[in-house]
Amino acid sequence: MSEANYRLVRGLLLAFLGLWLLLTLFPFYWQIITALKDAAETNRTVPTFWPDVWHPRNFKLVFAEASNFQALVDSFIVATGNTLASLVLGTLAGYAFARFPRQAGGENLAFWILSNRMFPPVAVLIPMFFLFDATPWGTDSHLSLIILYLVFNMPLATWLMMVFFRDAPRELEEAAYLDGYPPLRAFFKVTLPLVLPGMISVAMLCWIFAWNEYLFANLFVGTEVKTFTIVIPTFTHGSQTLWNLQMAFSLIAMLPPLVLFVLLRRYMVRGLSLGVVKG
Amino acid sequence: MADLRIEGLCKGWDFPVIDRLDLAVEEGEFFVVVGPSGIGKTTLLRLVAGLERCDAGRILVGGRDVTALPPYRRNVAMTFESYALYPHLSVFENIASPLRAQKRPRSEIETTVRQVTDMLRIHELLERRPGEISGGQKQRTALARTLVANPEVYLLDEPISHLDARIRHELRQQFHDLEELRRVATLYVTHDYAEALSLGDRIGVMGAGGLVQIGTARELFERPGSLFVAQHLGQPSINVVEAKLRSAPGDALTCVAATGDGQGGEGLAIPVADAHRAALLAGGIDTVTLGIRPQFLSVLENGATAGAGAHAGASGEAGAGREGQSAPLHGFEFDATVELYEPLGATGVLLADAGGVPLTALTAPDRTFDYGARVTLRLHPETLLYFDPRSGASLVQ
Repeated sequence: MSEANYRLVRGLLLAFLGLWLLLTLFPFYWQIITALKDAAETNRTVPTFWPDVWHPRNFKLVFAEASNFQALVDSFIVATGNTLASLVLGTLAGYAFARFPRQAGGENLAFWILSNRMFPPVAVLIPMFFLFDATPWGTDSHLSLIILYLVFNMPLATWLMMVFFRDAPRELEEAAYLDGYPPLRAFFKVTLPLVLPGMISVAMLCWIFAWNEYLFANLFVGTEVKTFTIVIPTFTHGSQTLWNLQMAFSLIAMLPPLVLFVLLRRYMVRGLSLGVVKG
Repeated sequence: MADLRIEGLCKGWDFPVIDRLDLAVEEGEFFVVVGPSGIGKTTLLRLVAGLERCDAGRILVGGRDVTALPPYRRNVAMTFESYALYPHLSVFENIASPLRAQKRPRSEIETTVRQVTDMLRIHELLERRPGEISGGQKQRTALARTLVANPEVYLLDEPISHLDARIRHELRQQFHDLEELRRVATLYVTHDYAEALSLGDRIGVMGAGGLVQIGTARELFERPGSLFVAQHLGQPSINVVEAKLRSAPGDALTCVAATGDGQGGEGLAIPVADAHRAALLAGGIDTVTLGIRPQFLSVLENGATAGAGAHAGASGEAGAGREGQSAPLHGFEFDATVELYEPLGATGVLLADAGGVPLTALTAPDRTFDYGARVTLRLHPETLLYFDPRSGASLVQ
């Protein structure tokens, strides 16, 4: 390829990437500037691309209602509780499927677990509501969402953990047995540390799903417990949507996952590549 | 007491791997199992370790029946062919692992690990991870982890076969020196016959289903019970020739070797030693499989008649003692044509054609042979091995 052609291709590539970057970042930019406008400016027919008047007070206004902060706490409880449950169950099941495939019910059972993620969630929305309504804790509780989200997160955790356990050499566990460790101690001494990076990425995926879930939360909870996702649409004034408050609140809700990601980024990358590259 | 007893051990999956195997390894004994790869050597170790459940039979460690016990209650230690070091722990923690399992006090763990690592010369690596040390160092770390465990039985699975020759030699030497290994029963598995001959107090040759023959290095090398054993021990491999037994004038018996390719060449007639005659006649068969060790074939250059250097220089580990026995007897000499000569440094390997019969001979390293040259080979009929062509069993003892 000649020098000129090479430059042309390179230029086109960069232009394409720039365009893509613009498309990706524009909603984010729009979210930030909207969060900093006042209500009148957000509802203008001709939108402004830069706030005429800066209105950082929005970030304070969203907490005028004390329950709004509680919603973030509720979301945190649900997401964390569900993540822990998914991890424990997924790790145990994944280990069983990886090490004792025949005794654990075989490929079919493993696939059935995964298939729970394949149907459209809306299909079971109503039955689920009645099912949870019959439980002692009802639908409007942390526990109901923690258990409900297992339907989506546990298959993911099980399958990913199964892959990680398969990649962890069995001989290391056997070496631990011969060192004198009974199975449970060998598991904690050798096997678990090997899959820990993978476990952390699984935890991240589960946590973010549970944190962001809207459909089921909207139907199930709302009085005793409120997650932040169902609070966002409540920022209205009469028939007017308060876009600035909605954007400010969702920006705040983005912070916990962001912090988590930055803290655990190192493990996340290792975990996600664990199944791809051995050793 | 720390001995190992195996009685009627059976294990199979779709086909039997180990069939009614009996073995007793005494306290302080270094027992080497040698055999081709895939024959079930590792399975045997895993059965003793408790990593596999046997289908039938009993395993006793120090007189205690451990057949039904899980590995962590058997008091055996094992090195894995893949080393199986814990990648997330330092070398120190890897070695200390069995001691931590036994919940020993911290100071004792510290001293024990130092002792073992000083001995194996890996004391400088204690802070490193297994991913940061070389293959030989990994092997020594795995060995150290086995040694600190203070078990009743050591199981070593091809522990030095993946290393380069120099380190292998060094480690082989260390196995001889390790006091710990001399106090307990050790079962060592390898496919390398030289390792087996050099290390084993006794050696078991494993064939399909179990141990085909058990004996000292010398017994196995000089009096193999079957063609399989004879072929597996020795480098270069034993010459195997199909031959017919013929009566010769007088009382004598001659063995006529068929030509290698079945055509051309007049074959090779070798007299049968007096010591073997009775046994061969009693067998009542007229065809035999002849085994000729390359170590016992001397190469005389044409015209030379004095004892060549071949015997003394290249008779191999177990064959060294043979010289004294056979020297006074007159050998049988015959002509051959040089087909190929490989000088290997310490020895030379000559491939020659004797009347259509291809034969390999071991020579001194300082000799050279040209392709097509005529040489005289000499062998002592007492050194020949005779096997049943169908069963492969040895015909003379």
